[in-house]
Amino acid sequence: MRLDVHRSPRDDRVVLVLVGELDLAGAPRLRQAVVAEAAAGERHVVLDLTAVDFIDSTGLGVVVGALRRLRTHDGELSVVCPEPRLRRVFEMCDLDRVFTLHGSVDEVPSERETA
Amino acid sequence: MELVVPARAEYLQLVRAIVGATAGLEPSMDPGRVADLRLVVSEAVSNAIKAQASVGVADPILVRCEPSGDRIVVEVADHGPGFDAGSVPDLPPVETAERLDHESGLGVSLMRRLADEAVVESGPNGTVVRLTLGSRGR
Repeated sequence: MRLDVHRSPRDDRVVLVLVGELDLAGAPRLRQAVVAEAAAGERHVVLDLTAVDFIDSTGLGVVVGALRRLRTHDGELSVVCPEPRLRRVFEMCDLDRVFTLHGSVDEVPSERETA
Repeated sequence: MELVVPARAEYLQLVRAIVGATAGLEPSMDPGRVADLRLVVSEAVSNAIKAQASVGVADPILVRCEPSGDRIVVEVADHGPGFDAGSVPDLPPVETAERLDHESGLGVSLMRRLADEAVVESGPNGTVVRLTLGSRGR
């Protein structure tokens, strides 16, 4: 299994549920999904990494690029990452200071709450 | 254990699985260290694939994995254009907006952080990355 991206619209956000491994092979799939959301004008995209088994620096790079792309379109990106092994990779790259890593999709505040 | 792998991203998962399983056979290997090993191997092989793609070289990548008592040594060799590992630029601070302009540049620092020893030998005919990881976490 590589990477599948499932789109799940919820209230004021779109949740992209990632399943598989986020590496050089999976990166284009995620990049493509985020480009589509930004082009469609989605303001708040949530990346749900709960079912991601593995992430490396290439995968982290795509998450960073997703944030840049959405902010360019006045949007925002939230990341759900409950798995300690994955969180550690974010932390080792100091990216836990760029992203708030939420424990579940329900923990992600809405745009209204963060405004 | 030696693997000759096509220089394609689709094979990364297989390399991680085989190297991880090889390390997991060592009774002394901490499971967290096996996870570290899978990560550094992914970084090294991804860099090798990208390096060869940058110059249109389709040669396979060589991956060697040698468990030895309380440590494991992994070697990844490519036929890319080579690079100066000492001149990998620092990324902008994470507090700055400029940091978001950089999607790459973390792989070498991750390898150095997780491996007990990381040696890069690079020249115009390719690069060999040799990573040594002890069986216990750093």
